[in-house]
Amino acid sequence: MIDEPYRWVEAIANRREYIESELATGSPTVGLSCVEGVLLLTFGKDRKKIFEIYDQIALGGIGHPGDIERLRMTAIELASTEGFSRSANDVSLRRMATYNFSPALKQAFEQIYGAPYLARLLFAEVGPTPAEDLFVTLDYDGSMTASSMTSGKGKDHFGVISGTRRSTGQIALFLRSIPVGSVESAVTAAVKAWGIGLYSLDEEHTETPAPEALQSFIKDQLQEYTLETALLERTPKTRIAFSDLDPDLLNRVLSEYS
Amino acid sequence: MELFDSSSANPGDFASVLRRRGILREQEHSEGPLSFTGANHLPVQETQATTILAFKFADGVLVAGDRRATAGNVVMYDRADKVIEIDRHSVMAIAGSPATAWEMARVLEHSFQFYRRSQLQEMSVEGKVRALSKLLRDNLGMVLQGVGVVVPLFATYDLSAPDPAKVFFYDAMGAQFEATDFAASGSGGPAVRSVLYYENTWGKAPLRDLDREGAITVALKALDTAAEADTATGGIDRQGKIFPLIKIVSRQGITSIAHDQLSSLFRAVISPS
Repeated sequence: MIDEPYRWVEAIANRREYIESELATGSPTVGLSCVEGVLLLTFGKDRKKIFEIYDQIALGGIGHPGDIERLRMTAIELASTEGFSRSANDVSLRRMATYNFSPALKQAFEQIYGAPYLARLLFAEVGPTPAEDLFVTLDYDGSMTASSMTSGKGKDHFGVISGTRRSTGQIALFLRSIPVGSVESAVTAAVKAWGIGLYSLDEEHTETPAPEALQSFIKDQLQEYTLETALLERTPKTRIAFSDLDPDLLNRVLSEYS
Repeated sequence: MELFDSSSANPGDFASVLRRRGILREQEHSEGPLSFTGANHLPVQETQATTILAFKFADGVLVAGDRRATAGNVVMYDRADKVIEIDRHSVMAIAGSPATAWEMARVLEHSFQFYRRSQLQEMSVEGKVRALSKLLRDNLGMVLQGVGVVVPLFATYDLSAPDPAKVFFYDAMGAQFEATDFAASGSGGPAVRSVLYYENTWGKAPLRDLDREGAITVALKALDTAAEADTATGGIDRQGKIFPLIKIVSRQGITSIAHDQLSSLFRAVISPS
């Protein structure tokens, strides 16, 4: 079948359609620079979705748990062996995504007799200043975006993955209006961004919700979703930047929706 | 693709990942009879590091090491770091061959972090203690050939234990022992053990009751005493202003005692003149 170009293109298109439909309900994950570091935030129902990868790198993922797990383990192994063989300073998110993940994901996607990865990933790497924070998104077909305040199409201080492109776009539109601020303001903005993204996953919701409608929508969703966050600290006590956020801070932000 | 082959028979084991990727090799044991006096036939003098100590006090565990590294009768380096942070609550102190010991510390540090990141939980204290024991045992082939001997101390703070401050010492073959109050290793170890025993038994207060300043003072006295008779121990270099490396492992994590603090304490309490 794959000897015929048309059949191959058709098979790839079918595969893409299948994966997109599988990912379409994925709860958004937001990465956002703040003064204290890089915030990662999502809401989940039954499993962990934000992970530590290396000293200054974290991962958020939507998709099949088995595939996210394999990709997570691969990222940890790649970063750990690089850090051990050379130095922790040689572990680079941009290199790992460009030279390892993107080609391998593309190959898995295009080998139509093998199973593709049902996953969409958001990597974040904290830098010495917000301008040096890096966000990388990787899709199941190996397509990749890398953005920071000094590079990338939007020169953005955030990274986003969501179930659909429209949802991702709506979140990005909102976050572009948010300046780099404190971690508490980042959590506040990221919760709203998540709400906008989840709202936009519904095909019938074609407009961004008004503030009151958004608050009501998030309040309803919190009946079944649980908040998950992590902070990549900009100036950690040790080399390890991945840390939990202060529960009091999270409660203060969420009290707006109780 | 091999890139995505992250399967492992022993999940969370970083050493097996390194072996699978050809970065870490199993020690090759010599075929045939071994030379147990191999050190005498080495083409180069092996660098050695001494002396280290650890004891429990009121805040947790104090771990200290002098700064001297020697090769035979030559002082190779007088600012060696023999007290190495492994994770947020664990410290390894090294006596013996720095080449092997620092590599062990690197493997251990990465192993603990790899386990936490991949398994989404901290390795137990028993697991950490055993991991170092296994590295020592893997080094046995080299030890029998007379090179790369390491006799470390391992100190940690087990947040879930009723007696959270922990000190372990090892022999070169990997046997692990938990110290009740204190442990010492290296060529100055016997002198240090004597000082710590004296302070613990007949001193102003048992080691466990000392505050931070009192504990640092005892550590400085012990290493200075060891240096008095052991040329391989650096002790306190009054001219060069080189002080031992001292770290505190407590509930809050690991704290390195600053040079200035050691210096002022030394002048105020131990050597006022």
